[in-house]
Amino acid sequence: MNEVIEAFRLVAAPDVVIAIVASAIYGLVVGSLPGLSATMATALLVPVTFWLSPIAAIATIITASAMAIFSGDIPGCLLRIPGTPASAAYTDEAYAMTRKGQAEMALGAGLWFSAIGGIVGTLSLVLMAPLLAEMALSFSTFEYFWLAFLGLMCATLVARSSPIKAIASMLLGLLVSCIGMENPAGTPRFTFGLTDLLGGIEPIPALVGVFAVSEVMRAMATAEPPKLPDRKFGSILAGQWMLTKKYQWPMWRGNLIGIIIGVLPGAGADMAAWVSYAMSKKFSKEPEKFGTGHPEGLVEAGASNNASLASGWVPSLLFGIPGDTITAIAIGVLYMKGLNPGPTLFTENARSMYALYLIFIIANIIMIPLGIVMIRIASKVLRAPRASIMPVILLLCAVGAYATGNNLFSVLLVGAFGILGFVMERNGYPVAALVLGIVMGTMVEQNFITSLIKSDGDVMPFFERPVSAVLAAMTIGALLWPLGVWIWNRTGGRRLPA
Amino acid sequence: MQLSDRVTGGVLVVLGGLAAWSGSRLPAVPGQDVGPAAFPMLIGSGLVICGALIALGIGRSFEVPEGEMPEDAPATASRFHGLRVLIPPALLLFYMLASEPLGFLLTAGIMVFVVAWALGASMRLAVPLALVAPVFVHLAFYKLLRVPLPDGVLPAPW
Repeated sequence: MNEVIEAFRLVAAPDVVIAIVASAIYGLVVGSLPGLSATMATALLVPVTFWLSPIAAIATIITASAMAIFSGDIPGCLLRIPGTPASAAYTDEAYAMTRKGQAEMALGAGLWFSAIGGIVGTLSLVLMAPLLAEMALSFSTFEYFWLAFLGLMCATLVARSSPIKAIASMLLGLLVSCIGMENPAGTPRFTFGLTDLLGGIEPIPALVGVFAVSEVMRAMATAEPPKLPDRKFGSILAGQWMLTKKYQWPMWRGNLIGIIIGVLPGAGADMAAWVSYAMSKKFSKEPEKFGTGHPEGLVEAGASNNASLASGWVPSLLFGIPGDTITAIAIGVLYMKGLNPGPTLFTENARSMYALYLIFIIANIIMIPLGIVMIRIASKVLRAPRASIMPVILLLCAVGAYATGNNLFSVLLVGAFGILGFVMERNGYPVAALVLGIVMGTMVEQNFITSLIKSDGDVMPFFERPVSAVLAAMTIGALLWPLGVWIWNRTGGRRLPA
Repeated sequence: MQLSDRVTGGVLVVLGGLAAWSGSRLPAVPGQDVGPAAFPMLIGSGLVICGALIALGIGRSFEVPEGEMPEDAPATASRFHGLRVLIPPALLLFYMLASEPLGFLLTAGIMVFVVAWALGASMRLAVPLALVAPVFVHLAFYKLLRVPLPDGVLPAPW
């Protein structure tokens, strides 16, 4: 109990409160701007977290990402352009509601069910993490290897593109992680004689390049999105209680799916929203109404993407395996702040964990009033011309990359990863898989090589321990899944819905 | 930069082959079967296989056709228009080379101006933005976050 009181004290510290409010506003604004994703918002925050206390640093990441995932719904609903990829699944539906004159209802549903999803997701994190921590204490390198590998496979499985291209992206990320001397033998690899590469490629410049610089590049090649007409909104939350009662079952299903997808290492909010929207349509009593401005799918998917955000922290905190690209950034920050992920985090640093849960709850509660304000001023925020935002983003990319190590070489890396990300995205290679490969490469290799050394080069011990056998089966299943779908389609089975 | 699957697949095959080959030449750890070479070789071979499959067009049926945003207006589609996407990385290179001699404020001002101008901002927007944005970023990073941004020829007055 003392730990809980201590956690309250930690969260009530002035710097944490300021961090929560400031990052909430930042997340809402960045998330609502089309093209600027929640991941990018988080990546650009990292240099700022260097100078904050550990709890304040985590608070900025949690709050900004939760807000950005919600506010991505706003331009989706009003302009039919999703603000973040996690809103893309139901953008058409929300826009159809707006055209029917139900913009308030659609935005309110986005806000209300985002908050509920976030809170339910947090509760799942509170319940699940300590239980899994018990189990994780007995994990050896075999289990860690399979977990990390499973995470990578999930990241490729959920990408909405060719699974082969996704695997190729993931391998490319792993190859990038080989650069430097951070490997079991400490041998410099692929450094091309450059001292700057000896330390390896940090995930942050890669993330900023792939998610932010490539977005500025894309802005150069595409036309400016249309402006939002000024409009007055009626009550945002009116009717949400009615929706909650009417679609109670889809809402809980959305929460549950979001939690499951979040916990799966590698799969994040975008996927949760896509799966939940498809589920909602499949199990709905009135599937014919989907796509015509029907709130049911919004309820389910809106809850789902925010629920996945919280449960994505489960594998990150327990194993250091990111649940999605946002927690991939968060893991870096956790290490930097001395809160190294692992099962012992829950016993040795319980109050920080309680503080983390509290921040999640607070973020999802203040999301409602701040979100209403954001919806009301959205037309003004979205009127800012792209030509005034993109230059600042690029400048922040340069300075942010420089600030992570006071090293000008990272600025060059950011540019190079920008080009890589841009080219990959244009050609259907999912960049999230690349990023997870880079983030997890060292861990996969470390556990793989250590396990091989322990087993004297034998592969059998990888499957002998019970948990590792289960994980291995899941991983291989994930690997063979696309093949199965392909054969199913070939043999005249009906086309599976994507 | 829309390339065919043959090209990207081919690039991956070459890259994977190079990675596996140079990985195999890494020195082994004495007395150990597996050393620093194992992982790059494994990844390299994986890339070769994936690249070959992509080049052969396998798995394309999974790709979800995306509702692409409208591409650039035909009026501006000159030969060099496509190269505009290279402006942001070029500016990052410029930042790396110029920020020490020129100083942060000047370098950042040029960067902001060029991007704003390339995105079609009017002078009335681009010039004030190029003057104001670097100052704010400098204040935030230099003063608040204590990042040692270079002074160069135009030191900030604080």
